[in-house]
Amino acid sequence: MKKLIIYLCGFALLLFLFWLSLDIGILQLHRSIFSLIGKHDVDATTVWQVRFPRALGAVIIGAGLGVAGAVAQGIFQNPLAEPTLIGLSSGATLGTIALIASGTSIYGTRTNIAAAVLASALTALLVQWLAPGKGFGFLLTGIAVSAILTSVAGLLISMSPKPGIQSITFWDFGSLTLLNNATVGMIAPYIEVGVIICFMVSRKLDIYSLGENSAHYMGVNPKRLRLYAIIGLAFLIGASVSAVGSIAFIGLLVPHIVRLLIGPAHRKMLSLSALVGAIVLLLADLLARTLFRPNEIPLGLLTSLLGAPALIILLRVRRASWVSHD
Amino acid sequence: MIEIKALSFARGAHQIYRQFNEKLEVGEAVLLTGPNGSGKSTLIGLIGGLLKPDSGIISINEKAVSQLSAGEQASLRSIAPQRRSFTLAFTVAEVLEFLPKKRRIKENDHLIAQLGLTDLLTKKVTELSIGQQERVSLALALSQAADYYLLDEPFSAQDSQSTGRILEIVSELKKEKGVLVISHNQDAIANSFDRVISLA
Repeated sequence: MKKLIIYLCGFALLLFLFWLSLDIGILQLHRSIFSLIGKHDVDATTVWQVRFPRALGAVIIGAGLGVAGAVAQGIFQNPLAEPTLIGLSSGATLGTIALIASGTSIYGTRTNIAAAVLASALTALLVQWLAPGKGFGFLLTGIAVSAILTSVAGLLISMSPKPGIQSITFWDFGSLTLLNNATVGMIAPYIEVGVIICFMVSRKLDIYSLGENSAHYMGVNPKRLRLYAIIGLAFLIGASVSAVGSIAFIGLLVPHIVRLLIGPAHRKMLSLSALVGAIVLLLADLLARTLFRPNEIPLGLLTSLLGAPALIILLRVRRASWVSHD
Repeated sequence: MIEIKALSFARGAHQIYRQFNEKLEVGEAVLLTGPNGSGKSTLIGLIGGLLKPDSGIISINEKAVSQLSAGEQASLRSIAPQRRSFTLAFTVAEVLEFLPKKRRIKENDHLIAQLGLTDLLTKKVTELSIGQQERVSLALALSQAADYYLLDEPFSAQDSQSTGRILEIVSELKKEKGVLVISHNQDAIANSFDRVISLA
């Protein structure tokens, strides 16, 4: 019952935010958005070519980031594991930028998205291979590898002779500005595949939380599980980073909110993480676009600015949702 | 039958098993005992497929453990390890539903009652005492459907009453299954078992 109410409220909030996202923006609409369906004037173009892909993209990417955060914390058995902290995002960023800087492909192409997914997976495997353990050692390795890859990406940008490449630094903070219908259409299947893989491993993540040996005894192959989870994460993070850059804190914050609402069971958590992730990103983007109209705040700044304090409050309110045995 | 043939296993320079032979059959409850470091838990790790023997063969129902996937092994034997890490705030009831239905025994209400967990089902595992967590871990292993049950130090944090009830469960279980229990302290419990294996 409690679960049903949470989902109903969540969906209502998501629909409301989606409608607001179509309705509000720098340009004032002259008619209600419902009368614009099937029309071809300035208002209709604004809504269907600019705001709609952006809102839909926020929902899809937010859902993906929420699920990715939940799976990352589960598989790395660390409540601080977040895709941007453990190298998945910086790998994807480097993959994207390397192709753009070398002139192999431009933003938002299929090649670019595939390269980001691949680079993301390779980075996660590298961090796992280099890390001395699962606790702080793992996180520090992730942060160090991320720092290296981000620097390399920065070097590639500053050395590339391609005109206009410097504008790519919007990636540093993440932004949904460049989303259009074509890009959203291209990343959606990747995120869908990533979400499906994550749902397939969700029950095993519960078993895995009892420790690797215990998981093996209960019929779960830990190595294989980690590999599947990393592939799922790479699909989610690679695709979203290639389209909108790396957006901090959503993957970290959302699973903590969800655990407080319905407990830690991954089977139940993943779908709600998707819903909450979509809500949080849609809200963040709406605020980023409208708070200081006509200026837009970089989205990543806003997610960090709101997400970090929210996380601190959550941790203080409910310390018991994750007990540390380190 | 779990059969161990000519098992040799060393940890560094320390030779733990040399040409070791043993077996566990359905219908018997065996106590494995010995001082710390004598290789009791190591044997569970070897039978459980977590450690690889240096030489020799371990088989369950005539299938070599090394040839079986983690899932296939789990359908033949169930293991309660010495410790599990209860880090996430699952309820006890949630933990007992971790395994998919097809891997679980059909009816575990009686087992839960015997282990004194009925009143704890809605409690969070992270908030339980060590002894209670140990019984949850045991319930988890005993509700896994298998032919053989290997329990590593199930009494270490239990009082005499709980120990008695766990021994009752073992003697019921062995009617249809094979049971191997590890305990470093055999004094009070040895006569509840059909055989005692003492490692030096």
